[in-house]
Amino acid sequence: MEQNRAIENENHPASGNHIPWIEWLASGLGLLMALCVFGFIGWQALHDATSPPMITVTAIETTQVTGGYRVIFEARNVGGAAAAQVRIEGAVPGSDGPEFSSVILDYIPGHSARKGGLFFTLNPQSEKFTLRAAGFAKP
Amino acid sequence: MVHDDSVPETNKDYAIGLGRAFGGAVIFAIPLLMTMEMWWLGFSMEPGRLLLFMSINVAILIGLSYFAGFEKTFSWKEDAMDAFAAFGVGILTSTTMLALLAVITFDMTWSEIVGKVALQSVPASIGAMLGRKQLGGGQDTRAEEERKAEAGYGGELFLMLAGALFMAFNVAPTEEMILIAYQMSPWHTLALGVLSIVLLHVLVYTVGFSGQESRPEGGTFRSTFFHFTLAGYGIALLISFYVLWTFGRTEDVAPTEIANMVVVLGFPASLGAATARLVI
Repeated sequence: MEQNRAIENENHPASGNHIPWIEWLASGLGLLMALCVFGFIGWQALHDATSPPMITVTAIETTQVTGGYRVIFEARNVGGAAAAQVRIEGAVPGSDGPEFSSVILDYIPGHSARKGGLFFTLNPQSEKFTLRAAGFAKP
Repeated sequence: MVHDDSVPETNKDYAIGLGRAFGGAVIFAIPLLMTMEMWWLGFSMEPGRLLLFMSINVAILIGLSYFAGFEKTFSWKEDAMDAFAAFGVGILTSTTMLALLAVITFDMTWSEIVGKVALQSVPASIGAMLGRKQLGGGQDTRAEEERKAEAGYGGELFLMLAGALFMAFNVAPTEEMILIAYQMSPWHTLALGVLSIVLLHVLVYTVGFSGQESRPEGGTFRSTFFHFTLAGYGIALLISFYVLWTFGRTEDVAPTEIANMVVVLGFPASLGAATARLVI
C-alpha cells in the first residue's frame, strides 16, 4: 500500500504534462462561463435588482376583429424585482358607462416586458381609452 | 492502484468523457428543465442567494470530481478543472435545452435569460459530473473505493450532503412542496420524519444494494445509528432548510410551518443522502 502510494506520487509531476489540450479547452471555457454568469448575477445583486415592480402598459396594435376590437399591448416592468399575477386593465368609454376588459399575466421579470391582448366590443381608438396595470403579487 | 496514471490520457478519451458528461447533464436536468417554477425562480429569486447557491455548487462539483468525476483525477488542479468543465457543460446544456423548449427567447432581457440558465445549470452540471460514472463502461471502481476509504467520515458526510442537496433541489421548487406541508397534521409530519430516519438507515446498511456500506469495524447498531444515520438525517434537514431559504420559501412564514416544510423536504433529502453513497 505504502509502496503503491509512492509510485503514484512519483507519477504526479509527470501526469501534469499528459493533460490533453481538449481538457484545457473544456475547463477553460467552463471557467470563462462561470466567471461570466457569476459576474452578471453579482452585478445584478448590487444594482437595483430589488426595487419594487413598476409597470407601464402601452398599446401596440389595435385591429378590428369578429365581434369587436383586439388591442395587443406590451406591459413593461421598469422596476428591478419580478411581479407575479399582474392584472392589466383596459377601459373604453361608452355612452352608458365605460367597457372594461382585463387579463392577468403570470409573471413580468424585472426590467422586462410581456405581451398580451384585450378584446372590446366598442372601438378603443378613442382619446379616452385607458390601459393600465391594476395590481400585482410578490412572487 | 497504480491504475491509469502511467498511461497518458488522450484527447479522444477526454472527448468521450465529455460526451458522457453531456448525456448525464441532459438526463439529470430534464425533470427540472420541465418544471415551470424553475423558470420563474430563475428571474424572481434574489441574485445574492442565487450566487451563493452557485458557489456551493462549484464546491460540490470539485468534491464530486474527487469521488466520481468524468475523468480519473489525481490532483486538486485537475479536480478544479473537471469541476469547471462540468459547469461549462451544465451551462451549455441548459442554454440549449431551454432555448429548444422556448423557455428562453431572443425578446427576453439578458437578466432573465442568465437567471434561468444559471439556476438550471446546477442540476445539469451535477449530472455532467456523474455522467461518466453512470454511463461509463470501464470505471475505476477500485480507485474510487480507495478514495472513499481514505476520505473517511468526512467524505461520507460530504457524499450524503451532495445527495441530499441534489434530491431536495429536484422537488423543492414546486408549489406542491408547500401545499403538502400545509395539509399535513403534526402527526403526519412526525410519522414522515420517523420514516425518513428508518429508510435512511435501512437503505444504507441493511438492504443488500450494490455499493452498500458495511457497518464500520466493530460498530454496534447504536454507534452506526448515531454516527451515520442520525448525522445523515441532520444533514438532510439542514440542506432542506437551506434550499427552502434559497428559494425564498421561508420569508414571513411562521417557524412551525417552516419546520413542517423542512421535514417534508427532508424526506427526499434523506433518500438522496442514503442513495448518494450507493450511486457514487
